[in-house]
Amino acid sequence: MPEGVIYGGWSFVIAAYAITATGLTVYAWSLFFRLRRLREEE
Amino acid sequence: MKEARGGMWMKYVGAFGLLLLLVGSYIGLFVAPAERHMGDVARIMYVHVPTAWVAMVCYTIAFGLAIVSLWKETAVSDARMTGAIETGVVLNGLLLLQGMIWGRPTWGVWWDWDVRLTTSLVMFLLFAGVLALRSFVDDARRRAAWSAVATIVAFVDVPLVYFCVRWWRSLHQVQSTPSTVDPMMVIPLRINAFAVLFVALWMIHMRKRIELARRKREETDLPERLAVQEGEANA
Repeated sequence: MPEGVIYGGWSFVIAAYAITATGLTVYAWSLFFRLRRLREEE
Repeated sequence: MKEARGGMWMKYVGAFGLLLLLVGSYIGLFVAPAERHMGDVARIMYVHVPTAWVAMVCYTIAFGLAIVSLWKETAVSDARMTGAIETGVVLNGLLLLQGMIWGRPTWGVWWDWDVRLTTSLVMFLLFAGVLALRSFVDDARRRAAWSAVATIVAFVDVPLVYFCVRWWRSLHQVQSTPSTVDPMMVIPLRINAFAVLFVALWMIHMRKRIELARRKREETDLPERLAVQEGEANA
């Protein structure tokens, strides 16, 4: 194996994509929820 | 009517962004080649770099709207500015997490007080501070003015984040150009950049609607609140 090359690391890739997907989903959900709550209070 | 039509368009923009994000991420994960030194770990780039670009775009939009808000003093510009800041802070938070995950296998550490990482963290804290400031001020006009000034001050860090890797010695690599990377790496990067941008535009629009609804409720509640305050003062 040549030196200075990273092998594997798929767990890090999956973690980065999962965190991104979760973060965007939670924030999008919070936008829907907050807007709906304000509409209901009107 | 115009606003309702704009809102409907933004829904499609957001949905299109989501679709692009799925396509771009699929190409980035399964079609694009592994990087010569970092191997498969470099696939984090296809979400990390677009997140960074769009976070900075959001802050730049907020900076422009802060100037408009101070100049014209309209509720819409203040609401849009809030949307751009909050979306920027969410993306900035994700950017820091993605960077930490990428740093562990490549640098051997989750975090380093490197100039790019530090200025990115400062950028997150500054704009999160603007959001905190907004929650402390009750008067809508004063809140808009103070947060616009705070946004302009916070924006000073944004060009620093972008250029710091060229100006100072950094662990973080300098920006690549399409001529220095494989074309199959450029495609998912560009697709995801537009994807995150479209999703962010929809988020800014939604957050603007929340802010306007909140402001409307505050104005409705104002006579009631003033009466309570007057009653307390007379007691």
